[in-house]
Amino acid sequence: MADRDVARPLSRFMDHQGIAPDRLSATYPAGGGGELIEGEATNVDAHPPGDYVGEVVESSTAEALAQARELNCAPSFGRFVMIESAVPAVGIVFNVATQSVEPNRRPAAYGKTERELRLEQPQIFELLRTHFHILIVGHLDGGAPVPVLPPHPAPIHCFVYECDDTLVRACTEDDEFLRNIINTSGLPADQLLIATLRNALQVRGDSREYLVTMGKALSRLLQEDYDRLRSVIRRIAPGR
Amino acid sequence: MLDLYSVKGQIDHMMAEQVDRPRQAQLIMEASLAQLERWSEDWQALADKIDRSSTCWLLPVIGEEGLRQSYPLPVRPQRVTIASTDGSQIFPDRHEISPCYLINIGYILLHYGTGEQPLMSSRPSLFHRDQDLFRGRGRRGAVSRELVGIRRSLLELTELAELAAAAHDEGYPTVALADGSLIMWTLEGKPRGFRQEFLESMLSAFETLRRRRVPVAGYLSRPGAQDLTNALRLGLCPLEAADCDHCPWMAEPSARTQDTPSQSVDRAEEDLPCGAIDGVGDAAVLRRILQPGGRSAVFESSARILAEYGPHSICFFYVHVGEEIARVEVPKWVAEDPPLLDLVHAVVCDQADKGQGYPVSLSEAHEKAVVRGADRESFYRYLREAFVRHDIDARVSSKSRRKRHAAV
Repeated sequence: MADRDVARPLSRFMDHQGIAPDRLSATYPAGGGGELIEGEATNVDAHPPGDYVGEVVESSTAEALAQARELNCAPSFGRFVMIESAVPAVGIVFNVATQSVEPNRRPAAYGKTERELRLEQPQIFELLRTHFHILIVGHLDGGAPVPVLPPHPAPIHCFVYECDDTLVRACTEDDEFLRNIINTSGLPADQLLIATLRNALQVRGDSREYLVTMGKALSRLLQEDYDRLRSVIRRIAPGR
Repeated sequence: MLDLYSVKGQIDHMMAEQVDRPRQAQLIMEASLAQLERWSEDWQALADKIDRSSTCWLLPVIGEEGLRQSYPLPVRPQRVTIASTDGSQIFPDRHEISPCYLINIGYILLHYGTGEQPLMSSRPSLFHRDQDLFRGRGRRGAVSRELVGIRRSLLELTELAELAAAAHDEGYPTVALADGSLIMWTLEGKPRGFRQEFLESMLSAFETLRRRRVPVAGYLSRPGAQDLTNALRLGLCPLEAADCDHCPWMAEPSARTQDTPSQSVDRAEEDLPCGAIDGVGDAAVLRRILQPGGRSAVFESSARILAEYGPHSICFFYVHVGEEIARVEVPKWVAEDPPLLDLVHAVVCDQADKGQGYPVSLSEAHEKAVVRGADRESFYRYLREAFVRHDIDARVSSKSRRKRHAAV
């Protein structure tokens, strides 16, 4: 597709900002970008760019907002993600939202299925974007997670990747991420505890030993609120 | 600062003068409908009279379909692609740091029936060279807003043609939909060389589409045109061949000249035999005739500028799109190709339906093209910074500076 696009009669009418980053190298060959300092670009090729799930559009020390690469295709709630930059940040998705890109144009109900809308109102999907909020919980040092915030916020336009199972296991080895969630205000904390712990359990093949370790950690963290603790634990491992 | 209290008094006064309007409008409408009935069978006689007459208003060429014919909504092909463009501009401002100007074109390509991703983009063009900013030899006159408007209209059409042709060449069955009239009224009365320069580009754009058999249509919402009602008005003239310049019922015929039609609106006009139909638009009359989705017969416009359009002379029809009666203008080669005409008819109604009364491709093209006040401010701010960065001596006028920092 990418090779064909260069010669397509319609390519002249396409927005440059709409060109997928993996095509940019073909469209804008290297040599013009003198601003990119080499030292900052370490790790940039650690992932094939095609795998990214989002791009950072707002960034602060402890939180980031990313635009999903595709509509309605954000990483799931509670998922561990990695923001690639000189010091890669690790975070947890705690809110996903899809809305109109134009503040004064609200979506309206059409009474049609998505398939019908795609066939007969194709423009509306161009006007919607999915965004996800990331709670930054640490950074990577030499590929290993450190439960300490990165020294600088992730630069805008950095790509966001879903952490693979190995990285999720490494990030959830100790209980620091639980403490992070409980101590951050403005989060749906209990739901996020449940979602992240279920993820952590899943990558360990539902290990009973891990469940017990984290259950103990939770009972320490929530020792002043027994009802809350019970409710969380019951929902992490229903039926146990 | 606007003195609203003073305005309110004037609005009340205006209302008091207009209380009689609805009754007058009703009378005019009844007269128009009666004339339409009268000529609906005998339309050939009216067409002949149009040929013979010389009026101070524009008359349509009535085609073989007659006057009162209407056609139901054809079925839209399941798979069709709509190309649209719209333009917006930052006018040259001689109080600003540079007299350059900008035209932003919005491009829309919507594919129906396939689920393919639409193309929605925009592209700005900055006009800054001497040949863009000044016109005329000898005395260099700064470019006017009118000229920027003409250049923008032209760019909308040429870009639309290129977009639609590119879509066609990629295998999409395409219809090109333009915002507004395809008749370049603003070129009428301009010097010949100037007209030709613009018309050549536009007609070559139409030719690009004609060669590919891609129909192009201009969509006019709430049209003010009076081509048909002018024809009905001519029908009221007792003379065999009307000649407005020598109208025996006119009070002071010598006071009028052909070159200044605006002066032809005389105080005695409503007392003329043709005065019973005056000021009613085609759309208002056809609202009583057309069913939702239906279109009128096709007529050819006799606007003077069209003499230079060659095979691309503009025809028009009216269509009931549900919310309103819209006017659709097409080149003659579309009007004379029934499958293309049906396609335009079906597409226009479908587009208006999808856009809740106004073609969705056109409203999206507008959204892509629009340059808002804040954008304009950012543009000039960046421009000023660029001048400073490059150490070029230039300054905004005292008036502009004063407007930005008004003091008490």
